[in-house]
Amino acid sequence: MSPASLDEALVAAAQSGSTEAFSRLVERHQQALRGFLRRTCGDWAQADDLAQETFLAAWARIGRLKSGASVRAWLCGIGYNKFLTAVRSVGRERARAALYEADRDTTLDACAEDRLALERAMASLSAEQRACVSLCLAADFSHAEAAEALDMPLGTVKSHVSRGRLRLLQVLGACDDAVG
Amino acid sequence: MTQSDDRLKALFAMDAPPARDPAFCTEVIEEVMRQRLREDIALLCAVSVIFAGVLWLVWPTLQPALVAVSQGLAPALGAMGLALCAAMILGGRPTSVLGLAT
Repeated sequence: MSPASLDEALVAAAQSGSTEAFSRLVERHQQALRGFLRRTCGDWAQADDLAQETFLAAWARIGRLKSGASVRAWLCGIGYNKFLTAVRSVGRERARAALYEADRDTTLDACAEDRLALERAMASLSAEQRACVSLCLAADFSHAEAAEALDMPLGTVKSHVSRGRLRLLQVLGACDDAVG
Repeated sequence: MTQSDDRLKALFAMDAPPARDPAFCTEVIEEVMRQRLREDIALLCAVSVIFAGVLWLVWPTLQPALVAVSQGLAPALGAMGLALCAAMILGGRPTSVLGLAT
């Protein structure tokens, strides 16, 4: 059974009330959702809390998921809305980004330095850019898939990904060998 | 896919959560079950309140009739009540037992 058809079967079972099937969906998609939220919000503990809230919301709305729709994209869409709500209600994005940088250890090896630079660069992007970059560059979403998940126009997603990618490469000191 | 993109992807992958995380999954499912329990309790409370209200309204007319047929009906009603309780206790959710499951 292909991953997509397995998802479809699990969704159908979950829609008829099976918590076992929903549990399998959580197992299958927790990595993608948590990874996306970690990269988008930068705070791992908050990302895991948001992921849990996302799954609870998904359980409540599973009946509305259309047959054949991508479960991963649907979950990321709910997670992104949860993230935006959290950011708007608390208004702590900037404070967290500043805290993030202040808390970092300054004696790091080359790889850790790159990761730190990447995290700082991600923190410097807007929430929308971070979400687009997280989905398209880190999680192999197509632009169209990301546009559907984030409820953004396709052109906006492409622009966010392109600008975000350039910014990240600049910070990492990598040349953009795809351009010019 | 360029070398720079590969490097970005490799760096992103370092922060990825594990592919299997039983602790996280258990936590989520526990919360789902708690939510379901709260919904069940709320439904049972609502059904009980409605039933009590209806009974209070119809009791004056129901009482004489019940007294008249109680000798014959009491055992059958008792058995039905016990069967309903047993169905709920032995695994049926209130919504499905009451025929409200979708």
